[in-house]
Amino acid sequence: MNNNLLILDGISKSFPGVKALDRVSFEVKEGSIHALVGENGAGKSTLIKILAGIYQPDEGTITLAGEKVRFKTPYESLCKGISVVHQELKLSEPLSIAENIFLGNLIYKGIRVDWKSMRKKARELLDKFGMSIDVNEPVINLSVAQKQMIEICKAVNHNCRLLIMDEPSATLTEKEQKIMFETVRKLRANGITIIYISHRLEEIFDLADNVTVLRDGKCIGTVPVKDIDKRTLISMMVGRELVNEYPKEKFEVGETVLEVRNLCRKGVLKNISFKVRKGELVGIAGLVGSGRTELARAILGIDKIDSGEVLLYGKPIKFSNFRAAISSGFGLVPESRKTQGLVQILSVRNNICMASMEKVLSPSGLVSKRKEKEYSNEYVKKLDISTPSIETEVQYLSGGNQQKVVVAKWLLKGSDIIFLDEPTRGIDVGAKREIYLLINDLIRQGKVVIMISSELPEILGMSDRILVMHEGELKGELTREEATQEKILELCV
Amino acid sequence: MRAETSIESSRLNGVNRVFETISKITKNYAIIIGIFILTVIFSLASPYFFTYNNIRNIFQQTTTIAIVVIGQAMIVTSAEFDLSLGQNVCLTSCILAWLIKFGGVNPWIAILVTLVVGTAVGAFNGVFVSYVKIPAFIVTLGSQMISRGFAKIITQASPIPGMPKEIQFFGRGFIGGSQYGVPVSVVIMISFYVIFMLLMHYTKFGRSLYAIGGGAEAAYFAGIDVKKYKAITFTIAGTLCAISSVILVTRLDSAALTNGNLYEFDAMISCIIGGISLAGGRGKIIQALFGAIFLTLFFNGMTMLNVDPFVQDVLKGCVLIGAVVIDVIRNKR
Repeated sequence: MNNNLLILDGISKSFPGVKALDRVSFEVKEGSIHALVGENGAGKSTLIKILAGIYQPDEGTITLAGEKVRFKTPYESLCKGISVVHQELKLSEPLSIAENIFLGNLIYKGIRVDWKSMRKKARELLDKFGMSIDVNEPVINLSVAQKQMIEICKAVNHNCRLLIMDEPSATLTEKEQKIMFETVRKLRANGITIIYISHRLEEIFDLADNVTVLRDGKCIGTVPVKDIDKRTLISMMVGRELVNEYPKEKFEVGETVLEVRNLCRKGVLKNISFKVRKGELVGIAGLVGSGRTELARAILGIDKIDSGEVLLYGKPIKFSNFRAAISSGFGLVPESRKTQGLVQILSVRNNICMASMEKVLSPSGLVSKRKEKEYSNEYVKKLDISTPSIETEVQYLSGGNQQKVVVAKWLLKGSDIIFLDEPTRGIDVGAKREIYLLINDLIRQGKVVIMISSELPEILGMSDRILVMHEGELKGELTREEATQEKILELCV
Repeated sequence: MRAETSIESSRLNGVNRVFETISKITKNYAIIIGIFILTVIFSLASPYFFTYNNIRNIFQQTTTIAIVVIGQAMIVTSAEFDLSLGQNVCLTSCILAWLIKFGGVNPWIAILVTLVVGTAVGAFNGVFVSYVKIPAFIVTLGSQMISRGFAKIITQASPIPGMPKEIQFFGRGFIGGSQYGVPVSVVIMISFYVIFMLLMHYTKFGRSLYAIGGGAEAAYFAGIDVKKYKAITFTIAGTLCAISSVILVTRLDSAALTNGNLYEFDAMISCIIGGISLAGGRGKIIQALFGAIFLTLFFNGMTMLNVDPFVQDVLKGCVLIGAVVIDVIRNKR
């Protein structure tokens, strides 16, 4: 049983200007869960695309079940039993579950589509994974987790032997993740080999048998998970010893800046009260959908408040819209950096100055490019944003640097109270630390920072106080000293 | 020795910079090369093409569409589009002529009313797109039909000819004598382009439009009033239609249902072949002006070479698709 299903030998792939993969070789044992980790840009996605037949390698060989293969199209790869569950799911939303499972592989009776046996087979597949939804349900009505399951069913139906999962847990709630893990184990028990890509190292220790680390397009090594600890794994990924993952600094706690009293929004937020003081970092924990982002939105005037009040330095304030909140000194680093945080096709300069147009006007009232450049250069330097130039479009920056541009935008605006919603999502380990250091700097400068995060280690590592939310309610408040992963989980389920 | 190398390398840098600038210009202003090539071809084909009179004529013909193009370019920059522009020109043309000929209104007051109506149509579009959140396609298609309907009602489908002398200079006047002077309409057009280029690149409003077109959600989360700015953009486009119609009516000396016909598409084509991204957030208004000049030049030359007007429509479609294909290839690289 312990033979290798997949052998990669000396795979290289170059794009104009970059060597994405440099003689990568490793083996994947049949019937194992094989994790693939590495920072952003390490070459994971290029490797997947090669296996999926989207790219062809420049050199090197792929051996699948003892047979040398070379995929020219995704279809060839699929025929050989390789399926990929992409991070962005590729389902046809208006079509039914059954139709999606059989997409590109419909069963025919003569020239007529045989709906009856397709529905029956789809039902069997869903039952196998413990899903009780109607197979005629359009996919658009399903949750992300359910859609992912449909992708998996689709792969199994294609007689897949090797299932590649690209960050499957990124968009799932904790509960859904557990179910997904169970499914993955079930697949392994059925003899399907899985390549599992994730940024969350905890999962890898929980789930995988072996792990391969990529860095800068090179394969750093493949090791059994049981022979390695998290520290070693991280140092393999970043190529150096990470001294302290969470560089928490303590500051003197001052006056209360923001106070929320009995905040309610029908169906979303129930009677929420808390205080935030100068010099402390308040973390808001909870599952996806527990009302954390909604709480921030309500405070910031994006959504309407039904009852309750928000006090700023003891004075009640009410924002009719988000702009009003901004002018009172609030800032928001939104959840989705790509679509909400930045205008991707505009330059670093334009993005930094976007919220502060009044600051870059010349005496004549027109926008002064010179002032924009001065400010942008100042913040690029201050925040150590690594970009070829301030005129570079932000879409070409790495995740960590993009996030710094979002923060720079609010610093230029002069915001004093900054909400960070999932500030390190999709950012690699090394860059995360830089964001944490930046958060420390903000607090040192006297800014008030409120951090919403789904990553418990991050909440535990950085917050002075932790608010735990569940179904729109504030279930508890823990100090840094008393908080543990278990206590938070207890409160939020 | 070392000094020499550094001089050498700095000279190389200089050369590189020149090349870079050239490649940048050809990338963003490929349309200018297109205009140049067309001019050469038509000049070789017809002795009447490259004459002062004909070139002046081309510019004069461009003015009405070029002013509408400003509005469309702004809307496209904010990642929307407007299908009502052409019929807005038609409606305002008819209202202007009707007020003067049948309403007995003072021509200047009639122009004022025309501007108000054009602006109102634009504002209608803007409010329904921004605040009622109906897709621009539906709203502007609707207002296109409404405008056309009113134009038909007003004119009863027959042209209204004969405009008073005092306002004829908008479409027919020349600064510096009719033989070698510059058309008033061209001066108006250029002033509008100067104003709107400043507006788009050096004001909060213009910069916000680029942000909205590049990513409306991100613009919102930077505190930009997305709805307000979009509504204003549609409104301004409406005003520009009315201004265009004043020039058009006085140039043709008549208002008819054919006025402004298909201007919205010609404006869109001008934007695209000029190099303004339909996805929003990219492109400069001046590029669309070159697009409009190219289009007028193209048809002027075709007419001069006696190409069948029906064939011209076919060619127009080909130019549009060709331009988009080039744009797609350019963006892929």
